[in-house]
Amino acid sequence: MLSLDFAIDAAPLAAEEIFNIGPLAITNSMLLGLAAAFFTLLVLGLAASLSQLQPRFKLAFYLESLVDLILKTATDSFGDRQKALKHLPFLATLFIFILVSNLSGLLPGVDTLQAKVDGHDVSLFRSFTTDLNATLAMAILTIGLVQFYALRELGLKGHIKHYFSSKPWNPINLFIGLNEIFSELLRIVTLSMRLFGVIYAGEVLLFTVGQLAGNFAWAATLPIMFLEIFFCLVQAYIFMMLTAAYLSMSTTNNALESRKSAKEGRTQVRLEAAH
Amino acid sequence: MENVDPTLIKGLAIGLGAIGPAIGVGLIGAAAVGAIGRNPEMQGRILSTAFIMAGLVDAVLAFVLLIVFTTG
Repeated sequence: MLSLDFAIDAAPLAAEEIFNIGPLAITNSMLLGLAAAFFTLLVLGLAASLSQLQPRFKLAFYLESLVDLILKTATDSFGDRQKALKHLPFLATLFIFILVSNLSGLLPGVDTLQAKVDGHDVSLFRSFTTDLNATLAMAILTIGLVQFYALRELGLKGHIKHYFSSKPWNPINLFIGLNEIFSELLRIVTLSMRLFGVIYAGEVLLFTVGQLAGNFAWAATLPIMFLEIFFCLVQAYIFMMLTAAYLSMSTTNNALESRKSAKEGRTQVRLEAAH
Repeated sequence: MENVDPTLIKGLAIGLGAIGPAIGVGLIGAAAVGAIGRNPEMQGRILSTAFIMAGLVDAVLAFVLLIVFTTG
């Protein structure tokens, strides 16, 4: 069943089945996704157990600085350290897991090692984020969590007010509200398609450049490889930052904030008039 | 129309699809350089924002590449 061979075709658009566990089909992207998840858990768990007040282990120190960096960018986009700390676990998970999944597509052997399944060749591993199912799942989880936090922070009434403002029967407010709800659905599509498109197109680009260069593929793909590493980083960062931006946008009460700032503005004006 | 070479269409798709993101990345770069020139001490934050914006724009080119590579 597993006769290993090397690929001569670019990865097809959909992930392929390797084997079945009952009714559940295990695809090649799920295999590498599970491997990436276990790797991440293992490394982060090790770092957490080695973490000390006075860092003696380099691994723990570097991962602590990474989490600190994520916390800093989250604080920047929330504008509030308490809120950033509350959402840090989800954001850090997204960033680190997407980064590891993206980079795992560049490892030697991924996409090229093949297994024979039902008579035709299927690549054994495939990067998790080059599967639209995976990115769509992450996007739906993200937007679902944003809605959940919005409902919990603002309540149902406040959440509806967030879309339709306080006078929903004004035709313009109604139209804007419907637009906002549509854009909320569209965020799922853009989040998933952006990550999937960039990483998948990058891997096909690597393959195509390798084919074009023939015997000099090792030299021709090197700059593209660095470009891909850069894109992997940027896409993971963008996914995390957009999640943070959506969370901070939908969990702040606009009416309350504007009323507060208006009151502050009024007292300022009064103070200036008094002077 | 049926006599058109598909590779010509693919080349046109890449060429025309690259115009928009190229202009976008150029505008982002120009704005970032201008902003750094105005206040150089903010260089780090300006550059990180510029990279995010460049990543958002690059996604458009990625869609074009995706369409070109996946159509036969």
